[in-house]
Amino acid sequence: MKKLKNTLNKQSMKKYFLIFSLLVSLQITAQQKWFSGSFNSNSQYYVNDSKTGDFTEDDKFRSNNYLKLDAFYKNFTFGIQIEGYAPQAILNYSPGYDKEIGLSLFYANYKTKNLDVTVGNFYEQFGNGLILRTWEDRQLGINNALLGGKIKYSPTQNIHLTALYGKQKKGFKISDGEIFGFDSEINISEILKIQESLINIGFSAVSRIENIESLNTNFNPNTNAFSGRLNYSKGNVYTNIEYVLKSEDALVENGNVNTDKLAKGNALLFNMGYSKKGLGIDATVRRLENMNFYSERDKYGKGYNQQVVNYLPSLTKQHDYSLANIYVYQAQPKLSFNPIGKAGEIGAQFDIFYNIKKGSAVGGKYGTKLALNYATWYGLKAEYNIVERTYTSEFFSFGNKYFTDLNLEIRKKWSKQWSSIFGFTNLYYNKKYIEETNGEVKATIAMAEATYKFLQKKSVRVEGQHLWTKDDKKNWLAGTLELNLSPKVSFFATDMYNYGNEIKKVHYYNFGGSYTKNSTRIALNYGRQRGGLLCVGGVCRVVPESTGFGLTLATTF
Amino acid sequence: MKKIFLTIIVLMSLCISSQSQNSLPNLELKSINGEIVKLTDFGAKDQVLVFSFWATWCVPCINELDAVNEEYTDWQEETNVNLIAVSIDNARTSSRVKPLVNGKEWEYEILLDTNQDFKRALNIASVPYLIIVKNNKILYKHSGYTPGTEIELYEKIKEYAQ
Repeated sequence: MKKLKNTLNKQSMKKYFLIFSLLVSLQITAQQKWFSGSFNSNSQYYVNDSKTGDFTEDDKFRSNNYLKLDAFYKNFTFGIQIEGYAPQAILNYSPGYDKEIGLSLFYANYKTKNLDVTVGNFYEQFGNGLILRTWEDRQLGINNALLGGKIKYSPTQNIHLTALYGKQKKGFKISDGEIFGFDSEINISEILKIQESLINIGFSAVSRIENIESLNTNFNPNTNAFSGRLNYSKGNVYTNIEYVLKSEDALVENGNVNTDKLAKGNALLFNMGYSKKGLGIDATVRRLENMNFYSERDKYGKGYNQQVVNYLPSLTKQHDYSLANIYVYQAQPKLSFNPIGKAGEIGAQFDIFYNIKKGSAVGGKYGTKLALNYATWYGLKAEYNIVERTYTSEFFSFGNKYFTDLNLEIRKKWSKQWSSIFGFTNLYYNKKYIEETNGEVKATIAMAEATYKFLQKKSVRVEGQHLWTKDDKKNWLAGTLELNLSPKVSFFATDMYNYGNEIKKVHYYNFGGSYTKNSTRIALNYGRQRGGLLCVGGVCRVVPESTGFGLTLATTF
Repeated sequence: MKKIFLTIIVLMSLCISSQSQNSLPNLELKSINGEIVKLTDFGAKDQVLVFSFWATWCVPCINELDAVNEEYTDWQEETNVNLIAVSIDNARTSSRVKPLVNGKEWEYEILLDTNQDFKRALNIASVPYLIIVKNNKILYKHSGYTPGTEIELYEKIKEYAQ
């Protein structure tokens, strides 16, 4: 069996190399560049760690590799993406990424002024993504691109229509669920010749069909979602509103699909802001009720973020500093009765950006930049009937508090050489409801960093952080030292130390360097990875604690 | 392992052979005010354009755009360069783009690449990342930012502006 697999691999390898050599030879003879591509490789070599334990799984060396090639000819574009997980994927990627080398995506696109047609794999987002978003994130192991066809048609510059059909990717395979989608966006202000303001409206519909067996005659294998949106801006003020209705769908709890219990879903997103030179204010309110939407219903609760149709990120500040990324909120759109009653979330986020002018007493020679962020999220207020699996919710009232955080950031440049950033965070994280375990966390984080620039292109950056909490794993201390020898060469050393933890005091150290030339970057690091949630863009992946070497290579050509 | 090395060798040969330039992708993006704009409509003939990819949550990106902003008026006077800051913020953070840009008094034109179509078309792995474009041809690509990189960027801009 293994022999057969090897032969197959060799054959597919030969095929791919043939394609490469063909491309190379064609390019050498061509004048105009007609292709582009990229290669991205993330490898890990896991080692045993006397402090945190041995590496007990197969394959200490693991590597995720992505090769993308696009070719252009007149109005056509063709592309493929080849992925390789050799000998297997980095820890805790979806088991769907199980090939040593395989074709992951392919597409052909034809585009003119009014028409844009794609056949094969494609990415798309309707409005804010509340009912449809297909995207890729290699760090999270997400690629839910649709395989099928998409037509975009713009009869005039002010009307944009999209129709699509496809099945989502699940690793190297495709989903059993089918997706139909339609989206329209109309620039009303241009059509009505309104000069001073901009008004866009949009309407979209998505239908997911997954035929599953059910004795319930009321159960419909199709689930339909409809969304309407409005975007308005005039002068310094802007607003954006979207409302979504999702038709009755089966209740899914812990990956079990129950077609006897059906429930509708809805979502409301409202954003408004005011901004002028030196000041920006923004407020967002969102309410989600039973908004989980998967291509295959039973994928909900299975982890790995596979086959998600819509995009419901947590609306909180996306942090760049390590200690602020320990207690990260995740949106709570689901309906469930077990282990606790949950029907959705409601909350808001506010941002203020302010620039204290140059030359003023506080502003100093270069000005001082302030950013204030506040987010607060609650469960929906609802009455749950656990036995019947039914509930009644109120529209604008708050249930249990899930999360709040307040962030202040001050950026200050002192001189041509010195600049610094100060940050302060105060947060509340309800573990019981967010992670469905128990407990709650109140924490305060302070952060300061300073950069010293010397000899024009060299710089040193020092960063210190502290997290105070009496809950969970108690206090943390963290620091970073970064040395940039030139725009090309840079070294770093970081440490996160959970010194407050009575059971296990661990240093999560990491050091390494990188070399960048034009669009090619090579980075090598050695360190100990903290186990828990790794979050990018409001979506999280669970990563186990591990120690080892990492090698990242990214290049475009 | 062998496969990976082989792949790298093939890629290197591809890089060597790719001396000629790519064109700017034929894409439309939304401006910060919600208008749909065509990438190829930016810039007059022979004007140097810089498309700088950033996100509200990316500290080095903001450092870079802050650093360039201080010099930007001089750069424009000397070379007539136009910098377009392309935000790759998705639906989670895209509402923070407009207030942040105004709060920081950035002078750039801003584009929203909410589902990362532009980023994907250029095969960008991570931000900050920038390209220099003239007459719709991509002349230079650069990944990453450390303090002082803006000096190198301006040297390139001057080189292409001649």
